[in-house]
Amino acid sequence: MVDAPDVLQTEPAAQYTDSLGKYIVIYLCILALAGVQFVFAYSGVHAGGRFARMFLVALAEGGLALLFFMHLWAEKRGFLLFVLVFTGFVLAAMQYGWTDSNRMERGVPNSQPQIGSVR
Amino acid sequence: MSQADMAMHHPGGVMTEPAFAVPARKMAIWLFIIADAATFAACLVAYGFLRNGSPSWPTPFKFSPTVINAMVMTFILITSSLTMLLGVRAGKAGDRAAAFRFTVITAVAGIVFALLHLREWMGMIHEGVTLFHNPWGTALFGASFFSITGLHLTHVVGGVVALLVVGGRYKAGRMNADHLEVVGLYWHFVDLVWMFVVPFVYLLNVAR
Amino acid sequence: MHDTSAHAVHQHAAPTSFIRKYVFSLDHKVIGKQYYGLALLAVLTGMVLSWLMRLHLGWTDLKIPGLHLLSASGAPGDVMTPEYYLQLMTMHGTIMVFFVLTTAPFAAFGNYFLPIQVGAEDMPFPRFNMMSFWVTFTAFLVLISSFFFGDGPTLAGWTQYAPLSAVGAVAGPGQGTGEVLWASSIAIFCVGQLLGSLNFITTTLDMRTKGMSLWRLPLTAWGWFITSVMGLTAFAVLMPACILLILDHVAGTSFFVASNLVLNDQLQPHSGGSTLLWQHLFWFFGHPEVYIAIVPGMGVVSHILVANMRRPMLSHRVIVYSMGALAVLSYMVYGHHMFVSGMNPFSSLVFSFPTLVITIPSTILVLIWIGSLYGSKLRINTASLFALGFISMFISGGVSGFFLAQPSIDIMLHATYFVVGHFHLVMAVAAIFGIFAGTYFWYPKVTGRMMNETLGKIHFWLTFVGAYCIFMPFHYLGIAGNVRRYQAFVDDYLVRLIPLHRFITVAALCTGAVQLIFLYNLFYSRFRGEEAPLNPWQATSLEWSTPSSPPPFDNFGGRHVVVYHDPYQYGIEGSTDDYVMQDSPAQIQSVRDEK
Repeated sequence: MVDAPDVLQTEPAAQYTDSLGKYIVIYLCILALAGVQFVFAYSGVHAGGRFARMFLVALAEGGLALLFFMHLWAEKRGFLLFVLVFTGFVLAAMQYGWTDSNRMERGVPNSQPQIGSVR
Repeated sequence: MSQADMAMHHPGGVMTEPAFAVPARKMAIWLFIIADAATFAACLVAYGFLRNGSPSWPTPFKFSPTVINAMVMTFILITSSLTMLLGVRAGKAGDRAAAFRFTVITAVAGIVFALLHLREWMGMIHEGVTLFHNPWGTALFGASFFSITGLHLTHVVGGVVALLVVGGRYKAGRMNADHLEVVGLYWHFVDLVWMFVVPFVYLLNVAR
Repeated sequence: MHDTSAHAVHQHAAPTSFIRKYVFSLDHKVIGKQYYGLALLAVLTGMVLSWLMRLHLGWTDLKIPGLHLLSASGAPGDVMTPEYYLQLMTMHGTIMVFFVLTTAPFAAFGNYFLPIQVGAEDMPFPRFNMMSFWVTFTAFLVLISSFFFGDGPTLAGWTQYAPLSAVGAVAGPGQGTGEVLWASSIAIFCVGQLLGSLNFITTTLDMRTKGMSLWRLPLTAWGWFITSVMGLTAFAVLMPACILLILDHVAGTSFFVASNLVLNDQLQPHSGGSTLLWQHLFWFFGHPEVYIAIVPGMGVVSHILVANMRRPMLSHRVIVYSMGALAVLSYMVYGHHMFVSGMNPFSSLVFSFPTLVITIPSTILVLIWIGSLYGSKLRINTASLFALGFISMFISGGVSGFFLAQPSIDIMLHATYFVVGHFHLVMAVAAIFGIFAGTYFWYPKVTGRMMNETLGKIHFWLTFVGAYCIFMPFHYLGIAGNVRRYQAFVDDYLVRLIPLHRFITVAALCTGAVQLIFLYNLFYSRFRGEEAPLNPWQATSLEWSTPSSPPPFDNFGGRHVVVYHDPYQYGIEGSTDDYVMQDSPAQIQSVRDEK
């Protein structure tokens, strides 16, 4: 009789055995990044620049939470890629509509975004 | 033990290794998180689409009380993520009492968050901000604010209920640390979404 | 492992009470049959609606006896009003797309056969599975209830374009209550599909029995898996869109209504929204939905053809990769529904490219099917005939897609019968043929009896010819300039098309009537059909390894199946039969081992 392949026995990847100190450092990093967002809200640049900065900081915050609080970093690399690529792709595919948003005010084709104006 | 049980754990020899070595229950919550991320993203994109296209989007949020309140809420939610993490960690280490304690602390933090949020809502409604009207301009301001924070608040309230139910069953010995991990993943995700809601819905709309 | 999971307790004993066994059952097989029943109910409703529409299109002033009973205001004196025509058309589209094309090939067949094909006793979350069906059923009831409230169902079409769908009762009959019921129904439906998708994906990834590696999954399982991955995020976007639409109705928001809209001489109280936003959100769901309807059919058809060709497909893996490519591309092409919507013309170009690219995996699939069929001694039975019919419809409908994918041509053809003909052939009729093929193929396993082959073949040929008679002329109508959703044809150039419309109406009525043969066969064979052997098609996948037909409660009668082979080991030389079951421990030299 042929033995069936592909039978392995592994333990779950994310074990939650990291030290308390590591969690607290990450927690403090996230708090600090959240604080930075509040500073950016009052920084001098225009709305588009503030949005870009805060978005990047939010990505960093979310990334820390995703990788370490949710232990995605400790899972198999394949799973990490599956979650990030799948979610990233779907969210990116949602962004087609922005040029139509830019056109809502002026109505002409190929309007440029009005990054310079403060709203 | 049934196959469904095995799929929740790590079967050896009887079934094929789960893809990615992620057992079924954890896989399900991750899939839910992916779907939910799409839901939130759709709402945020809709909000951004309309805000970007509006000639006069109001920026009424004052440092006190709104921004301070948002800071406190952010602090509470991120801290509750830490306590959730400690709860799951204790559960995985077999410390049932500590795990239960941290789960309840997390739920309490969630309740405080929800109450602060509701207080803020009531204040805004008192100022005349509703889904279809606000004193400052484009009516969509209130509509998008209440829909997005409302969707998030629904998730928080659902999470608190889940935490209490799972925590209670865990204490009674009817659920194990894997269940705590699953509800924990959900809770971290609610926290993660808030990290995007705060800058887009609050901080871009502060009065400067 | 001593943990008593809430989900798994039921697994040990079959339920005995009627309610737990047939109504609120946790058994994936019962839930699959429930979904099939729902789809059957829905398809009959949708078909009757299409008959009413076709009769009205052929003979505008025709009295349809009893129609006033359905709606006194919509059909005074039994003659359909223009608005009621649109209301019936909207319901036809909604019912067919959501409750037939999504539920039957995906939820019905997938629920029944996916766990068996991976060698599992059940799905990992049977309670979610049960909720998934009952939530979907509730959504169906909510949708149907709109016939009986106020002035009937919404008339905005299944795509529910704003502002028509968002401004409320002022926009016409059914745009008040009917519209809110529509949006609620679809939002509820999305929840059901989310629960279903969670179960399908975890079943495929985590419930495979020993030896069942991913590449040993039959193509049907791949089809359902890829579909559920699409459904996971597509429905997750439609749901908030529907909720925002409901808010526009009940809470006075203006997400989808722009400023200064005047309807019936009244300035609408909305301002600041965007009608294009609805289309972006809707089609972000809407295009993956097309593939949600068709990919399970591709899997089913491949599965059936392989069993009847008695040899594997030219490439198992390329079929899987192509279905996967369709899933990925389906998220990047949705704007081709919006070429003339007033969307940024530059976006049209951006969407046109992936739309043309998506024809490549589709073409590869067709070429593999045809190339594999070439020179094979295909067993002709009803299931394989319908599988061939699927390919035929998919090609005929797909070819018109090349034209529509190009913005410059689409400007002329958009919103004409050309488009209606295109999508009916490529996604609706093709998917229905996939459902028929699956029904004839798996009926012996589900009921333990064979369907009547003679009746089946008559059903196939009449349906095949009928479907072409109905939908081929649509292309001609479209090129002649006949815009869709017109309820009567009064302009000169349209009047000349009326005879063709009458021909289509007669063809639709006849083809619909032919389905009675199928229904008769379906119910008669259940009780009087010939007893089916355990493996009537000499097929190899695990659903044919169950100890009885229908399979016992735990699918394999307590036996723990182990898989040793790729799914389609046909045409084995030196074997007593020409095939080897997946769970047969025999050592063989694989015909075309994919490993």
